[in-house]
Amino acid sequence: MDPVSTEPKLRLLGGRIPYIEGPLKVSGRAEYTDDIKRPGMLVGRLLRSPHAHARIVSIDVTEARQIPGVHAILTGEKYPTQFGVLPITHDETAIAVEKVRYIGDIVAAVAARDEPTAERALAAVRIVYEPLPEYTDPHVSAEKVASPIHSRGLNGTNIQKEVIQHFGDVDAAVASAAHVVRVRGRFAGVTHAFTEPLVTIAESTPDGRLTVWSATQVPHYLHRALSEVLGIPMHRIRVIKPEVGGGFGGKSDPLPHEIACAALALETGRPVKMLFDREDVFLTNHGRHPTENDVRIATDADGRILAYDIEALIDGGAWSSFGTVTTYYNGVLSMGPYRVPNFRYRGRRVYTNKPPSGAMRAHGGTNIRYSIETAIDELAERLNMDPFDLRERNALPPNSTTVNQFRITSTSFVKCLHAARERSGWDGKHRRLPYGRGIGLGCGFYISGSNSPIHFTPKMPQCTVHLKVDMDGGIAVHSMQADIGQGSNTLMAAIVAEVVGVELDRVHVVRVDSDVSPIDIGSYSSRVTFMMGNATRKAGEAMREQLLHAAALLTGYPTERLEVGLERISVKHRPEVGVSYLEALHKAMERTGALLATGSYTSPPMGGDFKGARAGTAPAYSFGAYVAEVDVDVETGEYRVPKVWAAFDCGRALNRLAVEGQIEGSIHMGLGQVMGESMNYRGSRLLNPALLEYKIPMPQQMPEVECLLVGDADPEGPFGAKEAGEGPLIAILPAVGNALYDALGVRFTDLPITPDRVVRGIEQRTAAHRSWKGA
Amino acid sequence: MHLDPFELHRPSTVEETMALARRYSGSFDYLAGGTDLLPNYKMHLNLRPHLIALEDVQELRGHSVDRVGAMTRLGDLERDAAFLRAYPAIAEALREVATPLVRATGTVGGNLFLETRCFFFNQSYFWRQSLGFCLKAEGDRCHVVPQKEKCYATFSGDLAPALMVLDAEAEIHGPDGARRVPVTDLYDARGDGIQRTHLAPGELLVAVHFPTAARARRSAYLKLRVRPSFDFPELGVAASAIFDGETPTELAVAAGGLETYPRRFDDLTQSLVGSPLTDERILDVATRIRGAVRPVHNTFLAPDYRKKMAGVFVRRALTRVREGTAA
Repeated sequence: MDPVSTEPKLRLLGGRIPYIEGPLKVSGRAEYTDDIKRPGMLVGRLLRSPHAHARIVSIDVTEARQIPGVHAILTGEKYPTQFGVLPITHDETAIAVEKVRYIGDIVAAVAARDEPTAERALAAVRIVYEPLPEYTDPHVSAEKVASPIHSRGLNGTNIQKEVIQHFGDVDAAVASAAHVVRVRGRFAGVTHAFTEPLVTIAESTPDGRLTVWSATQVPHYLHRALSEVLGIPMHRIRVIKPEVGGGFGGKSDPLPHEIACAALALETGRPVKMLFDREDVFLTNHGRHPTENDVRIATDADGRILAYDIEALIDGGAWSSFGTVTTYYNGVLSMGPYRVPNFRYRGRRVYTNKPPSGAMRAHGGTNIRYSIETAIDELAERLNMDPFDLRERNALPPNSTTVNQFRITSTSFVKCLHAARERSGWDGKHRRLPYGRGIGLGCGFYISGSNSPIHFTPKMPQCTVHLKVDMDGGIAVHSMQADIGQGSNTLMAAIVAEVVGVELDRVHVVRVDSDVSPIDIGSYSSRVTFMMGNATRKAGEAMREQLLHAAALLTGYPTERLEVGLERISVKHRPEVGVSYLEALHKAMERTGALLATGSYTSPPMGGDFKGARAGTAPAYSFGAYVAEVDVDVETGEYRVPKVWAAFDCGRALNRLAVEGQIEGSIHMGLGQVMGESMNYRGSRLLNPALLEYKIPMPQQMPEVECLLVGDADPEGPFGAKEAGEGPLIAILPAVGNALYDALGVRFTDLPITPDRVVRGIEQRTAAHRSWKGA
Repeated sequence: MHLDPFELHRPSTVEETMALARRYSGSFDYLAGGTDLLPNYKMHLNLRPHLIALEDVQELRGHSVDRVGAMTRLGDLERDAAFLRAYPAIAEALREVATPLVRATGTVGGNLFLETRCFFFNQSYFWRQSLGFCLKAEGDRCHVVPQKEKCYATFSGDLAPALMVLDAEAEIHGPDGARRVPVTDLYDARGDGIQRTHLAPGELLVAVHFPTAARARRSAYLKLRVRPSFDFPELGVAASAIFDGETPTELAVAAGGLETYPRRFDDLTQSLVGSPLTDERILDVATRIRGAVRPVHNTFLAPDYRKKMAGVFVRRALTRVREGTAA
């Protein structure tokens, strides 16, 4: 089927659209938060806890306050209101109250005339701590403990959230199974390592208003948290999101420093800037959870999946953050891309005295997917089936419902499998490359926008977009959708230009500013293209209607006889009869002046009727099938990934340039988690809070990537589109793991797979695999 | 992170430098490229109130096949084709130092006297204070080997092993005059991560000299690290030999990135001189060197792995030298 057949022919969308802000970014002219200077601006700095777990006995700031140039010092008791990104797990404070929970927890904030003065002040703060037992092992945290990290832990443990789900009858399915494969995986924590460090500026003005500029993915949630904690009504707070240099989930919580910075601004009456260094960023973390999981997959003799039985123990660090969602996702995001008739899951997320984990690109769907895809690869071997055939046999069909009642509409997963198999030359390579070289397949599945907005009261759309056009013909687009580098501003502008029928340069995306931007709930859960795209399309159509009415008055033809072309509205089949865009616009403005239009998106009702049923529901899902080749030095364990074929179903790709960029960037990020990225701890202490010893892959490690965008149009996505921001990350990890198996005959169940682990794996190979491919 | 203020001195001759070194004895650091020192200063590691910048010191400049001034930028040396042809091990080591940007600023002298590195040393002031300061900066204990009272910080320069196997000599100037010493003897086998060279206070590397015979050596340098750029060596092995047919008449192996100092293994490689360099002989020496080195857990990769790889890398480096293949 032609993927565009359900849509009219498009002028811009579906092509390759360079980012509209690109020239500003590459010339250094784009304005990020740190570029903003306010008159009389002070430097804000934070004092961090040297203890992993301790009671604060006393804090004395008398001496620090007397240092010339110090304008304010705040400690926790002034704003003790708890907050957190999820309304059900508010357990954070802007500054620690009564106790500290990890090395790096914020215990005081200072505003001073410059950085050295601020640091002198922090050094002069006298704190008496009473150390408490430290909990760093998630297994220990899962038991009853002497000094729980939070009072809200389950039954005296440090368990923050436990999810138990059972659909169908797993035990019966396993009993009847021909094959059961078990994979136990251990995953080190990884962090986003976005380019722009966290940074916030806050300014309180004599008109009683507070303005906050921040590097955030969620300006609206920040707006709410500021209001709740500081006790200022939302309409007196203005949140501005300048350009953001990457987020990947690391800027998707309202963060304590943002509130502390605002509190310092209130305290001093002066603008305060808080710019983090890299260690601050690592200690703020909110990266992917260190996880242990245990996956059993049962199939019949023909390889049909009968059941999944999954356990996960998730190391949450000091706060809840998105943890409740994480705990659900580690189970329910295994419901695709295969049909799973029986499903059991027990997930526990525990607090530990470490920097908090949170949402990171392909949140909750990455580690569990690695284990599942490893198990599927192992099953294929036991069944003596090709891994592609096994997956195709189990593919979720379109327009189906999963056992936990996810609504699956479009899926081009089988097309992904076919494209990746064909383009990679799989059939001639799998198990046929020489020892040390291998090829592997991994697949992915992800939500295209969480169906559940985090804040649903008052009930309102997840995204609203406003357009305004004045006589100059420029179209201003307002929305709080947060472009963090993924190209959503470009997409929003392109949709407007496409629908209204104007050149792209007529469209101006106005910087996110809560004073003028209607609410969108933020850049997370891969929701922006789907939800903002639909809202923008509706706004554009509303604007187009006004122009069509004006054109009808001018031409004397009814609107249904008219069609919108580029900068011109003309009579169908009579292109010579028509008016220009500006003529139509000026006619339309005669009654009202500048034109306004609005569009919004609310996801349809979905999901089952049981506890946690909404977790993982989404208006659409993305699918992927990646093939990776590896080349291993079997003596040193070093390896390269020379080539990846990435077949991805994002529905219809609206900006192919951006989608390919997301796939390539995802592969880079995913390879990092495979090849070396790891937050290394000694007890509660992070050993590598810097980019030298946190091993993000270098450009030389990037494979050649062939993107295969084979998705059919989604029925509900804007112009048929689905997400391409997070799902593209998932499949690369198991593709490489399975390629290493093909190369070496060694199953790597733990990440990262560093060269020393490769050597150990080869040495500890079972007898059956010792002569793998003639080794 | 900010740099605390210091007083910068910019002498233009070795004599002026020595006068400053005497005047600020014990309270200065030499500043070469600054690519290592200044980041350490930002972390408040062993700050000194005075920095003596060597950039303008005439005697430290210039490079030829026979002599490389200590202030030669690594990037400049990397573009000296005659030099690279003469010494393949140095060519290979240079290409693997950090990144092109760092090499544009970093110097030969700076790389030879690179501060030793450790997970527990190369950290912010906050980090070190929260754990308790270590021997190497303000403290009195080692977090790597707690039962010992010496520092185990790892020597992480790439050039030193390559220079060692080429019999390069260091020209040293000090308050008491000049001397020449083999690069191999610059480093203190009985010292530790703090006291790691035989330089007296104030002594300064002026240049590195190469004997004519160095050009007759085939040589190679191999570096182990997690990523193919940016990273310091987890292990660096250099080897060289002069052959009479298939028989080495001279042969040397040196390694860095494993211990507090780079070292040459003459006692272990002696057996390879004077008889054909067979696979068996190479393997035997590689195994003995592997047995001799003592890495500790203060870099990214585990010490048992680095030790194992020392054997592999020595074997590969010697094999490369035998085959005469360049990287």
